[in-house]
Amino acid sequence: MNSKPKIGVYICHCGINVAKTVDVDEVTEFSSQLPYVKLARNYSYMCSDPGQNLIKDDIANEGLNRVVVASCSPRMHEPTFRKTLIEAGINPFFLEMANIREHCSWVHQDKEEATEKAKKLVAASVSKARLLEPLEEKEVEVEPASLVIGGGIAGIQAALDIANAGFKVYMVEKTPSIGGKMAQLDKTFPTLDCSACILTPKMVDVDAHPNIELLTYSQVEEISGYVGNFDVKVRKKARYVDMEKCTGCGLCAEECRLADRIPSEFDAGVGKRSGIYLPFPQAVPAKFTIDPERCLFLTRGKCGKSPKCVDVCTAEAIDFEQKDEFVEFKVGAVIVATGYDVFDASRKPEYGYDNYDNVLTGLEMERLVSASGPTGGSIALGEGEEAYVPKDIAFIKCVGSRDESVGNEYCSRVCCMYTAKLAHLVKEKIPEANVRIYYMDVRAFGKGFEEFYDRVRREGIRYIRGNPSEIFKRNGRLVVKVEDTLTATPLEDEVDLVVLAVGLEPRKDSREIIDLLRLSQSGDRFYLEAHPKLAPVDTATDGVFVAGCAQGPKDIPDSVAQAKGAASSALGLLASGRVKVEAQVSVVDEATCRGCAYCVEICPYGAIEMVNVNRMGHEVQVAQVNEVLCKGCGACVAGCFSGSIQQRSFKDRQILPQIAVLGVLR
Amino acid sequence: MVDLEKLRQTAKDIVSRDDVKHIIGWKQGTYGFRVEPHFAAEPDEADALTFSPLCTNNLATYLTLAEKLPVPRGEEPDTRKVALMVKGCDSRAVVQLLVEQGLTREGVYVVGCPCSGVVDVKKVEKMFPDILEPAQAYWKNDQIVFQLPDGEKEVSREEVLPQKCLLCRYPNPVIYDELLWDEVKAWGSEDYEDVKELEAKSPEERWDFWKDKFSSCLRCYSCRNVCPMCYCEDCVLDRLNPTWTFRSVNLSENTSYHLARAFHLAGRCIECGECERVCPVDIPLMKLNRKLYKEVVERFDYEPGIDPEATPLQASYRPDDEEDFIL
Repeated sequence: MNSKPKIGVYICHCGINVAKTVDVDEVTEFSSQLPYVKLARNYSYMCSDPGQNLIKDDIANEGLNRVVVASCSPRMHEPTFRKTLIEAGINPFFLEMANIREHCSWVHQDKEEATEKAKKLVAASVSKARLLEPLEEKEVEVEPASLVIGGGIAGIQAALDIANAGFKVYMVEKTPSIGGKMAQLDKTFPTLDCSACILTPKMVDVDAHPNIELLTYSQVEEISGYVGNFDVKVRKKARYVDMEKCTGCGLCAEECRLADRIPSEFDAGVGKRSGIYLPFPQAVPAKFTIDPERCLFLTRGKCGKSPKCVDVCTAEAIDFEQKDEFVEFKVGAVIVATGYDVFDASRKPEYGYDNYDNVLTGLEMERLVSASGPTGGSIALGEGEEAYVPKDIAFIKCVGSRDESVGNEYCSRVCCMYTAKLAHLVKEKIPEANVRIYYMDVRAFGKGFEEFYDRVRREGIRYIRGNPSEIFKRNGRLVVKVEDTLTATPLEDEVDLVVLAVGLEPRKDSREIIDLLRLSQSGDRFYLEAHPKLAPVDTATDGVFVAGCAQGPKDIPDSVAQAKGAASSALGLLASGRVKVEAQVSVVDEATCRGCAYCVEICPYGAIEMVNVNRMGHEVQVAQVNEVLCKGCGACVAGCFSGSIQQRSFKDRQILPQIAVLGVLR
Repeated sequence: MVDLEKLRQTAKDIVSRDDVKHIIGWKQGTYGFRVEPHFAAEPDEADALTFSPLCTNNLATYLTLAEKLPVPRGEEPDTRKVALMVKGCDSRAVVQLLVEQGLTREGVYVVGCPCSGVVDVKKVEKMFPDILEPAQAYWKNDQIVFQLPDGEKEVSREEVLPQKCLLCRYPNPVIYDELLWDEVKAWGSEDYEDVKELEAKSPEERWDFWKDKFSSCLRCYSCRNVCPMCYCEDCVLDRLNPTWTFRSVNLSENTSYHLARAFHLAGRCIECGECERVCPVDIPLMKLNRKLYKEVVERFDYEPGIDPEATPLQASYRPDDEEDFIL
């Protein structure tokens, strides 16, 4: 295989993308004169079938054994041309690409200079090409199971799709019930479907599905391994309730000494719950959980004479001795669907969320208007004799979104429509109410959105363009200080209720998943997809996919669509049963390794371990790379003091001559 | 106080053990103020061991420098412990070697010698020139007493200590299996006066300073060979393919050599000052190492050679690490 190099150089016009700024004929002529180059050609689209056939024919007829393609970034088409080489019968790693598009034609205007640069880039690749070595791509088997982290609508949909295709799914949900944020919503825009009515059947399906193992009130503690073979360790937190025995009757919660005294997470703090609780009536699983941070018995060791929950539970399900349990299993793919946090309105102190009871967030309003909410759906503020029905209601949009002052430049994509929906619901419940919406822009871009926006306006809801500067209290009423920017009129609008359309933020605990799975974040701090357009559900970690708002703000249809996409990507992996692993991995020179183990610490994939070897009769420790785990990132190579680690296809003696041709080295 | 009787008796006891190969310590040199390393494998060889302000060498370097000769077929390698006498600074080299897995804790028996500062032999030789007979010295309060052919001479420590000792913050071993005598009180400060002096200069002045120093480098590699942290089987600076640093002795290659070494020692140098001590042309290498030491302490709150369980600095990463120095 390593016979004298005969290199073919192929220069791509990329339509006019390259040819417009680079004289491809001149580069071709130049390339044909380079050492070891047998022939050089150019063609309009090298990646097209005829382009690839050029290469194949030349390999067959001219005996080429190395190929240099000068075209775009290898990111897209390196796999394409590697396949071409395989089809032509030579090792796919005898390919070297020169990026004369992104690195040259796209970033330069002067044709003469760009042509000179293209020549250098090609010459550099040619000098590396002759030093390339054949590599072998290994395949490993895929564990036919997947892990779904997060039990919101995205996780639920992904789990159901994978389970329906016949593969095992482990769903891990942090809270006591699946359902996520969607379960908290009253109606969904723009169709006004009852959120719970369309969601709860899916929740029940998850629980009942023979292929899904549901682990609620659980957290992923460790994930090791690699695509196709992840080892997962999950902590099942103690519920202090025996899941087998609990019938979900609810007597315990009624009798609990803390009944109706703890803000309910599900009701966004608008309603109250007990120390032992079911997050909401349709919770899945319908099993109670004791809040270890509030329960009197667990925090103080004493709850009256004996805990009331224990007294009333006829099933004898309460078990204060319960401990956290650990479950370990193996999966081939992981779907991250951990969702979002709503923006904390306290971070906009000018809106007085912390000071005024009648300044609510969108999610709180959602619980207030919900028929299953703490008020049974009646919008009444204040308590007892002071209760009143608000007449003047203002919504403020873009709270915590499109706002650099809180570090969120992005649009949360759902607030425009949920505001319209809430305004509609308010108007439905209080027909005489005056509802106005302060906005910067109205973004009604989805299917049926613009129509819904029109409908809401026709219902008499006023849209006033302006970003309120302040909310304060005057004569017992709230005053929204704002400028109507369409008429340039400063307003001081007296209202009874302000609803802040808070945006979506990455979860506060998103770091945990990043550390577990080595994900990246985009500038908005949501998880980063592998490619914004062509790999929107993949991540930089092979075998790990992302769905729903964990990747960025989305509405329900988009979350479901992305979940289905992630499920389909995971299924592709699970169904094929085998996966190729990186061939351009690191290798350790055992003879010179000094055994300091820096690389073991540096490796982000846990791919390096220390092993004992016999060095002239002495037992010494040296590093060894697990070629299946290695992703070829090269971090260990850079970290090795003695230069004892080299990455295949990127060895010092392969890339230094390449750099030298570019004129930076002697 | 230094107790030579105890030192020798302890050494005898140690080498008598079945699981100890030898003890590495110091013995009187053959002339002047020189002290040489001594490998005692038998109890009677331990009588030559000594400890005094002349014991400048950091013997920890022998833990990795000792050549591992090929083991003849059919024989087993000698895996017995190596016992080592250490001053405070030397002990930090042991810790850092443990951190870097250069040795195992079980493989070494550390005999701690709390130290009140060893001399800069060059300063002493200037003070008392032409002493050919083996001379001795001992600590006496804040003085060092030299026993010369024409009688004892008392000199204050400040006059004869090298800068690394004047600044020393760890005169007592940070790791040991046995401590030979009471710990001494530490005197060094953490204000990096020596580094700040150079930092205060303009980049041009600094470059002129180093240009002058590096130009005189002979590339004898003593600094690398004596360094306890330089233990690669095959140093990258010796490699021919690729040639990171050429062998030519000129300012450019000398600079590349010293900077590469300084960076390889960032977060690893334990301030024993051996490089500077052995330099035949007096390049103040510790100024370079201490600058990086200061950067590492200030930016990453990390001191090498203190905690044997630490993760090496250059192999660790924290998401909140400062990155403002990356352009």
